[in-house]
Amino acid sequence: MAHRVKSGGMARAVVRAAGLLVPRDRRGEWCEEWEAELEVLSGLRRGAAELRAGSEEPSPGAAPPISGPYPGELRFALGAIPHAVWTRTEGWTMDGITLDLRFAWRTLRRAPGFTLVAALTLALGIGANAAVFSLVNGILFRAPPGIAQPERLVQIGRSYDRAPRWDDWSWPALELIGRESQALSGVAGYQAWSFVLGAGADAQEVSGQLVNGSYFGVLGVRPLLGRLIGPDDDVTPGAHPVVVLSYGLWQRHFGADPGVVGRTVSVGAKPYQVIGVTPASFAGPGVVGTPPEMWVPAMQIPPMGGRLPFDQWGWSWINAVGRLRDGVTFEQARASMRLVTARLREASPVNRDIRVLVARGVGLSPDAHRQARQISLLLLGIVGLVLLITCTNVANLFLARGASRATEMGVRMALGAGRGRLTRQLVTESLVLAALAIALAVPIVVSADKLLPLVFPYTLSVPVSADGKVYLFLVGVGILAGILFATAPTWTATARDIGDALRDTRLSGGRTRTRLRDTLVVTQLALSLALVSGATLLERSVLESRAADPGFDVRGLVAGEVSLGPTGRYDAASGRELFRNLLAAARRIPGVHAATLASETPIVGGHSRSTVRPADDPDNQGYEAELVVVGPRYFRTMGIPVLEGRPLRGFDDEPERVVVVNQALARMFWPGQSPVGKEILGGPDAPGWRVVGVAGDVQLRSLRSPARPTVYYPLSQMYSSVMDIHVRTVGATAGAARGLREAVAQVDPALPVSRLVDLRGAMVTSMGETRTIGYLLALFAGLALALAAVGLYGLVSFGVAQRVRELGIRIALGARPRALVGLVLGRGLALAGVGLGVGLGLSILFGRALRGLLFAVSPADLLSLGVASAVLLLTAAVAAWLPARRAARVDAVVSLKRE
Amino acid sequence: MPRSLGITTLQILAAIRDGNAYGLDIVARTGLPSGTVYPALGRLKGSGLARARWEDQRVAEREGRPRRRYYELTPEGSRALVEGAARVAAAAAGLRNEVRGSV
Repeated sequence: MAHRVKSGGMARAVVRAAGLLVPRDRRGEWCEEWEAELEVLSGLRRGAAELRAGSEEPSPGAAPPISGPYPGELRFALGAIPHAVWTRTEGWTMDGITLDLRFAWRTLRRAPGFTLVAALTLALGIGANAAVFSLVNGILFRAPPGIAQPERLVQIGRSYDRAPRWDDWSWPALELIGRESQALSGVAGYQAWSFVLGAGADAQEVSGQLVNGSYFGVLGVRPLLGRLIGPDDDVTPGAHPVVVLSYGLWQRHFGADPGVVGRTVSVGAKPYQVIGVTPASFAGPGVVGTPPEMWVPAMQIPPMGGRLPFDQWGWSWINAVGRLRDGVTFEQARASMRLVTARLREASPVNRDIRVLVARGVGLSPDAHRQARQISLLLLGIVGLVLLITCTNVANLFLARGASRATEMGVRMALGAGRGRLTRQLVTESLVLAALAIALAVPIVVSADKLLPLVFPYTLSVPVSADGKVYLFLVGVGILAGILFATAPTWTATARDIGDALRDTRLSGGRTRTRLRDTLVVTQLALSLALVSGATLLERSVLESRAADPGFDVRGLVAGEVSLGPTGRYDAASGRELFRNLLAAARRIPGVHAATLASETPIVGGHSRSTVRPADDPDNQGYEAELVVVGPRYFRTMGIPVLEGRPLRGFDDEPERVVVVNQALARMFWPGQSPVGKEILGGPDAPGWRVVGVAGDVQLRSLRSPARPTVYYPLSQMYSSVMDIHVRTVGATAGAARGLREAVAQVDPALPVSRLVDLRGAMVTSMGETRTIGYLLALFAGLALALAAVGLYGLVSFGVAQRVRELGIRIALGARPRALVGLVLGRGLALAGVGLGVGLGLSILFGRALRGLLFAVSPADLLSLGVASAVLLLTAAVAAWLPARRAARVDAVVSLKRE
Repeated sequence: MPRSLGITTLQILAAIRDGNAYGLDIVARTGLPSGTVYPALGRLKGSGLARARWEDQRVAEREGRPRRRYYELTPEGSRALVEGAARVAAAAAGLRNEVRGSV
């Protein structure tokens, strides 16, 4: 009952709202008819309900017996909307619209230069918007392809009373969650991994994933060929040498051979059997990052420090995604995580403060999601600003042309054209122009998938392609822009007095129009200033980052990764021996004067962490510190200062379990005390480690994030089969990189060197987002500034043309040409001044929006604002001075004779 | 008649053939959505095939409801309906033969 009352009320509201569209002279009748029908309908439905309820017969004559199904009230009422639209447009005959269109087309063709400039400007604005929208669309609104019912997937993260973390879990925790969670039908575990496929000369690095047995089942992927990794592959560490290929890898590397299943391939110099191929659409559960191309059971993970991670609660290395059991809602799943939390806490002391969290969807981890969303929304904001500028520019063009068309409008009004009729004509013109611009923008949108990767600082595993939503957006933005820039000129063009319009326009330019043009130019100047200062801020950040101190010496430093695990030929002892030989070979590379080893490379590293706590503080819950295993002479080679105690020694001279910690860790565990001689617990092995030295802080993950607490372990005490060789050269880094490859090949030809980086280059790359967005912004800022300059130029020249008589009189009365230039220039600069004032406010707001990309520069950086203001004023001065010169050349006699 | 009438329009014409049909009634008889029926009625009025009249206020008051707007055919409307129905019937017969021939 309540529902019907509500829908009846809604229905009446719909009819009344639709009625507003109907022309006023017919609105009364229109509403009466609809309301009467609605009343009959609700009466009929009431009658039917009473009949069903077994009450008395409906009173005779209440409703005539009519056969046929009656629609619901709301559904019926919705028909009032098309009816109202129809009634409103009834008078608009097709002939009239065709006439308008034809007239608009002729008008635009009469001024081809104007039309082309306006349409191209607009196309740039709306094209850029739609292109960026296609990116936003791909990242935020589309689930990764090839996954069944992605909306039923949840990401599993945790918090320790601090910010939630959505990254890796330990293996025992992953298994426990899969076992204990009643709300989830399974938990997929995966970790990005780099594999070496093939052996010898045609060995190549392929990015893939180590996955647990539930991975493909939870994601709902069916094999294209063969079978996929399943729970049977989760049994014995090292005993499942099987591999699943992606469609792309199968095509590229195996020539789409249908008999590939069952073949044996070399993965990390070990034989693996190909068991299946995934469908073409599947690109893993992420949308940002290199898509995985092969999958290997997690059981095949190589030992780290001589141990496997399957019983280690302290080692976090695998991501978790769960699927909701049928019929279970997300809220129920979230509530059920309390039980899982309790089980985890019972299972290991490492988990004593853990809280399990779930988040909807897959694609991007909530952290990465936030970042990518911020960047893409920022891009959308920037192109939105650009669109606004292009709109003001086109509006300005229209206004300028409106001045020359004022007489035409006046004549048409005098001949009896109503204001509404003229408005319709002008709006038609702008919409035709917008349609032209939309057509011109289509190529920009189509090539978006090639253009965007140049400006978007993340690798996308999902193709950015224009779908229906993107084209809808394009058309929508185009029409909106058309209406936006058409409003102002239309308003001034028709708001004029007929007599006024028919008089010479040079004398009575129309105050509304002038003021409007002033406003538009000021807006343009202000928006350009915001873009220019934003670009300056980012450029300054990049410059600052080059000069920044990452805590070590980047000059001539090259690093490359060597991974022994996949070869299966080295144990801890022979591995150390090999590393010793590698170091000796690396030191013989021409130009290289120092070499060392470490399990992580600064700036690009930070992949291993382990929970440690001070032995002298039983209440300390510990901290997940960065774990770096280092070889001999590490600190000296890297140029990391050892501030207290001593550095770690070579392969054999460190018989005790000793570590070096960084300042950040020392401050956290022993504030105000010397850490040398203290003991830390935890890490992959239970016994304690004695601190022998304190090293300076190093930016391990990126330049922007502050240095994290770090523990350095000696290779002699903690073996790692994956090490990065670092060499410092006096020569070119490219030569050293080549030399490093050759040196490793001399020692063991089967060992590939991967992830070769020049550390100075890595520093620049780590500012990649800032740099690319900075370039983009500089490009758009230049464009905006040029448009604003053109606008100002046009306005000032218009002013000179308008005041030619006044200027003539002034000259006749003895004014000096210089004073006249000053007069005209002053007006232009006054506008620039207002634009500057408004723009400075905008710039500070915009700088705040860019904050995430800045490095060592404040959003309201005075230098950047100053530079931007100077650029703006200079541009404005030139733009105003060029036409102002003309004022000085006004000939008094000629100008006065003209009238 | 500039254009031959579509099936929807013919359905509406048929529904108002015996007069005394109002909007909701036509919606119910034809099963067409109201957003189709009302603009179509407007078009029919415009092209002179149908006309609308308001019910006498006194009748409505006697029955205790708001007055209705009734639609009825004009003579041209009746003619158009007959012609259109014949055309559609012929087309349907032809189609039936086609289908039978192909099966």
